[in-house]
Amino acid sequence: MIHVQNRELVVPGQLIAEGDYQVYEGAFREGKQVYASVVGLADVRGQNIRIIPLQGRYIPKRGDVVIGVVVDSHHSGWILDINSPYIGNLFVSDLLRRKVDLVREDISQYLGMDDVVVAGIKEVNERMRVQLEAGEPGMGRVEGGKLVEISPMKVPRVIGRKGSMLNTLQNVGECRINVGQNGRIMVWGKNPRMTNAVIEALFMIEREAHTSGLTDRVHLMLEKIKSGGK
Amino acid sequence: MEKPEKLIVDGKRLDGRAPDELRPLKIEVGILERANGSAYVELGANKVLAAVYGPREMHPRHHQQPDTAVLRCRYNMAPFSVEERKRPGPDRRSVEISKVTREALEQVVFLKLYPRSVIDVFIEVLQADAGTRTAGITAAAVALADAGVPMRDIVSSIAVGKVDGTIVLDLTNDEDQWGTTDMPIAMVPRKKLITLLQMDGHFTGEEFKQALDLAFKGCEQIYDAQRQALREKYAIKRGNKK
Repeated sequence: MIHVQNRELVVPGQLIAEGDYQVYEGAFREGKQVYASVVGLADVRGQNIRIIPLQGRYIPKRGDVVIGVVVDSHHSGWILDINSPYIGNLFVSDLLRRKVDLVREDISQYLGMDDVVVAGIKEVNERMRVQLEAGEPGMGRVEGGKLVEISPMKVPRVIGRKGSMLNTLQNVGECRINVGQNGRIMVWGKNPRMTNAVIEALFMIEREAHTSGLTDRVHLMLEKIKSGGK
Repeated sequence: MEKPEKLIVDGKRLDGRAPDELRPLKIEVGILERANGSAYVELGANKVLAAVYGPREMHPRHHQQPDTAVLRCRYNMAPFSVEERKRPGPDRRSVEISKVTREALEQVVFLKLYPRSVIDVFIEVLQADAGTRTAGITAAAVALADAGVPMRDIVSSIAVGKVDGTIVLDLTNDEDQWGTTDMPIAMVPRKKLITLLQMDGHFTGEEFKQALDLAFKGCEQIYDAQRQALREKYAIKRGNKK
């Protein structure tokens, strides 16, 4: 028995369903009843219930790709700020993907303070100690480009259904974009005018994430700026 | 103000309310740009602002709990919030209110989800007219929801008391001062769980039961207003649909 419509706005403590449902993030069960625990949109798929949150901070999850900033270094690696309540730990061996002789090699040549790094989350333990890795292609230290920070809960909107929004931004905006799950986005473009337009578009997506037809509006906005430049 | 001869005339209170009536209530959500969540509550002449930051890294580090987040509350009154200037800074009263506020809210927050972190709640009273701790809890609960902090329910809070021998809901400053009893209550409305109960003055057993019933009714109304305020902030703006 379901008490809400799909995609309905729910608030904490609101009864969503009664019965044997599989409960995911944003909801909790009390006996047979399932309640919402956050403000969000109810997402009911068959027996699965979850709430798409509209607010909140980024909580690291294994397998996510995030964009971090180096805030500290130690003898075998670095500590990264990943826009979350928790810091990320990156070891040299997880950056270079090889054994590193720490006595012979000076690791400060690879990363320095305030460097921006694209990293994957290798592991998160129950104490929320976060292990990062940055050895895969496309990961590691970021060169050039612009860094944008938005609410992490709006990241799915930036990507869009099957990457539609991201494709629009990259194709029309003539740039390359790397989206971190933690709300940090890197934008590289040759044309500074279009790069700035894309950044504006990202902020627009954040502001209007809850409205429909957003991809079309972003497309329109970018096209307009593009043609205005010629 | 001198003590009025009567606080209740013909079943109406000094401000014209019935004994079981709330003062006008206004709740606004998300009015602070820099906070993760915020709320502003006006209850009659009370004006209270609540801000939530976090979950974020706990400083000082030795206060971190390895298995859970910590809820930290600060209730603070602005120097200009009361008639006679209040000396700024924490005092015996505000330290106590901060503690009971934390205990009232702690019951509903899923703190275990964020080990080693802290959730900071700041409550600033801008204008006071009795019942600021309850207005503060009401605001803080909404601010927590606005911050996206997972909770079992939204805590609602109100005061009841006895004035001229009548049990009344939501006392004003005059009623608090000249009345016999003041009892602030916070509760988890869905489960009717009381998370704060303090009392100044006295009730008979029967009066206490009556007052509790009245407080439950008051909290229901506040609960509705809290949920309404949250819905209004987050409702999908149909006007933008193309």
